Amino acid sequence: MVYASLLANRYLVSRVIPLIAVLAVALNVALVVIVVSVMTGFLDMLRDSGRTLMGDVIITHDIVGIPHYERLIEVLEATPGVAAASPVIETFGLARMPYGRSGESRPEPVQVWAVDPRSLAKVTGFEDAIYWRTPEPEVAESLAADDPRLDREFDRLAEAMAINDPGAEPSIILGIEISPFNRRTREGTYRPEPDAAWMPRHDLTLALVPVSAGGRISEPREGRFRIANEFFSKVYQVDSQRVLIGLAEGQRLLRMAEGPLYDPDGELDEEGRPKVIGRSPARATTILVKGADRLTPNELKMRVAAAYDEFAKAIDDDPEAKVKPPGFVDIRTWEERLIDLIAPVEKERALMNVLFSIIYVVSAALVLSIFWAIVHEKTRDIGILRAIGASRAGVLWIFLQWGLVLGVVGALLGLGLGALVVSRINLIHDAMGEPAPTWSIVLAGVLAGASLLGAIVAAARGSLLHGLIWSLATILLGAIAVGLGLHEGAVMWDPSVYYFDRIPSRVDPWLTGFTMAGAVLFSVLGAAIPAAKAADVDPVRALRYE
Amino acid sequence: MSDPRPATAASPTPPTIPAGILESVEVRKTYDLGRVKVPVLQGATLAVAHGEWLAVRGSSGSGKSTLLHVLGGLDRVDRADGGEVRFEGRSIRSMGRGELDRYRNREVGFVFQFYHLLPELTVLENAMLPGMVGRLPLAWRAQRPEVVARAGELLDRFGLGHRLRHRPRELSGGERQRVAIARALVNQPRVLLADEPTGNLDEKTGAGILDLLGEEHRRGLCIVMVTHDAAVAARADRVVWLRDGRIEES
Ligand SMILES: Nc1ncnc2c1ncn2[C@@H]1O[C@H](COP(=O)(O)OP(=O)(O)OP(=O)(O)O)[C@@H](O)[C@H]1O
Ligand SMILES: [Mg+2]
Repeated sequence: MVYASLLANRYLVSRVIPLIAVLAVALNVALVVIVVSVMTGFLDMLRDSGRTLMGDVIITHDIVGIPHYERLIEVLEATPGVAAASPVIETFGLARMPYGRSGESRPEPVQVWAVDPRSLAKVTGFEDAIYWRTPEPEVAESLAADDPRLDREFDRLAEAMAINDPGAEPSIILGIEISPFNRRTREGTYRPEPDAAWMPRHDLTLALVPVSAGGRISEPREGRFRIANEFFSKVYQVDSQRVLIGLAEGQRLLRMAEGPLYDPDGELDEEGRPKVIGRSPARATTILVKGADRLTPNELKMRVAAAYDEFAKAIDDDPEAKVKPPGFVDIRTWEERLIDLIAPVEKERALMNVLFSIIYVVSAALVLSIFWAIVHEKTRDIGILRAIGASRAGVLWIFLQWGLVLGVVGALLGLGLGALVVSRINLIHDAMGEPAPTWSIVLAGVLAGASLLGAIVAAARGSLLHGLIWSLATILLGAIAVGLGLHEGAVMWDPSVYYFDRIPSRVDPWLTGFTMAGAVLFSVLGAAIPAAKAADVDPVRALRYE
Repeated sequence: MSDPRPATAASPTPPTIPAGILESVEVRKTYDLGRVKVPVLQGATLAVAHGEWLAVRGSSGSGKSTLLHVLGGLDRVDRADGGEVRFEGRSIRSMGRGELDRYRNREVGFVFQFYHLLPELTVLENAMLPGMVGRLPLAWRAQRPEVVARAGELLDRFGLGHRLRHRPRELSGGERQRVAIARALVNQPRVLLADEPTGNLDEKTGAGILDLLGEEHRRGLCIVMVTHDAAVAARADRVVWLRDGRIEES
């Protein structure tokens, strides 16, 4: 039907109306894409960060720790489905930070993890989280000349990985948000301060409280640590609180290293010292376990629990081992471990699903009604076409084509717009977080003035319409200028409130495809329904429509 | 009115007028406005002979347009007891959808008082439109030159040869009506149905349109024209009146 294509074509290229329709579709698609992408990114990042920070399954015991943990790790690594395991001591400490050149320092509470970087890197994304490292050549090009990373001897990754090597100098790796000198750039990276304030060129002291195998709390012990590097896990709570030290050094300070085992009844030997009855094995409070792919965290958890029982039984049966492992340890998947963070997000996700549905329905209704209104205006044309013998199918086909083209173009534009905003969302957010630049206020003011002039000229010429449009522009631009002037910057995504330091986002291809298909469908329906209605009645009825 | 039933009404005796190309028999049309029913046509019987130029007169609101719409298949007669419209002896009520579309497209041409051109199409495209409608792409490709030639020839004859690429909004009322007539004639219909073709035009322009219709009539076109204007009706071969929903010979 040639006339259908001809007319669909003409309706498409005629003036502003198709533009409005395309814009409506594009804005709606963009809106949904942006909202959904941020939501998807949030959940993704949560999922990633769990594995990055602590592997898949975590075995913990209280602060006394698990003795013979090396044998537990051997058993675990021999278990099918377990890829790697790494020991950790989790405790708290007080750190004295080397703030500023004046040398003043304040003790700050920190969460201390004593780790073995070599095995930790196999279980978590530890190595990738180490922040200061020799930059890639293309990154190096973009750095300022005084950037310490350009230093030839800057191999700080190796330093970080070596903190638990035998004979290593006691070293510490700080969460990147602990130091007040690391200012995040708009790109979400950190720039080291080139002078003394830069943390990884300093030492700090860390005070830890040892707890004996029997659970007795001793005097705090202080150690001096060289700052080896900083890590960036992208989880603000962790980056702002956690420090990492070598496992051996941690065991030494916390008295969890291998040592003599004294008589638990407090008997003394001939020299009047506590009686040694054997060796006390080294202890770790936590074992992080990474599963092989294709195992769900819960399946892995079952296997880890079985492996632990095997290990505990083997030690119990070993007459050489005087210190027995606890009969009960806490074994959790990372999701269970992060439940306090995940549970609210899961709730939020359910809420988001409802919100998404509402946004989707509203935008679909909007697209539908705009198309409906536009095609309804064409009722008379439909009457004319029917009067000269066009079939109902032919008339419908005009508007199906029309709706399809506008829907597809709008959906593609919307996808582009949405993807653009999503990819720049942190830049946009950061820009909004600062007071508006003066030039923008001046520009808005000048434009408002120009509009006022336009309004006066139009009024003088006696054009009501132009006078009205210019007046409206004056008010709008004036309001924008005032708004920009008053705007002091609002941080909507505050990293200390939100779990992540950046607004995460990922364009989910399925949801996006679904959104776009919906936009096209509702464009076509919005066009087809009123067209079908007009084509259904006798031509005179459509012709009488004014 | 002493005799409420004119001689042309269906009666046991054969009609005096030879069976025409287009007839309405006892046509009834009532507008149902919910509470009130407005009877507009109440047994209108009319026969249009081959090649005849017939004028239907009547006061405003007498139902002239309604009658013409019913004749052209743009509107339906009452569901119950609504009478019949026959084209070449065949009731249009018995036509299927496709056949009715074809009837509107090929057999009759319609000219409206308010032109009813499509604003997005050019003058030539508007005139060609019925040629495109009802033809599948292949058939259209074969017939296109013929249709373009015919539309061009008609527009040329109507003095619009130099305005083929213009949009209807750039034309005067008289020019628009001439485009509408070209559109109605492009498929060479047997009957032209014209609803107050000069109703919106000044006398001189109207006379021009009527000259044009007269020319087509001389070429053998059958015309049914509705008007309330005596001078316009005078151009026709025969004039009938629509009064109280019935046709009366004048
Ligand atoms: N869709 C409708 N619903 C209700 N009443 C209608 C409708 N269409 C027409 N009428 C009524 O039917 C009557 C006849 O209308 P019609 O348009 O046929 O008259 P007309 O003779 O063509 O008048 P005019 O000379 O003013 O064009 C009028 O009274 C009109 O109000
Ligand atoms: Mg009328």
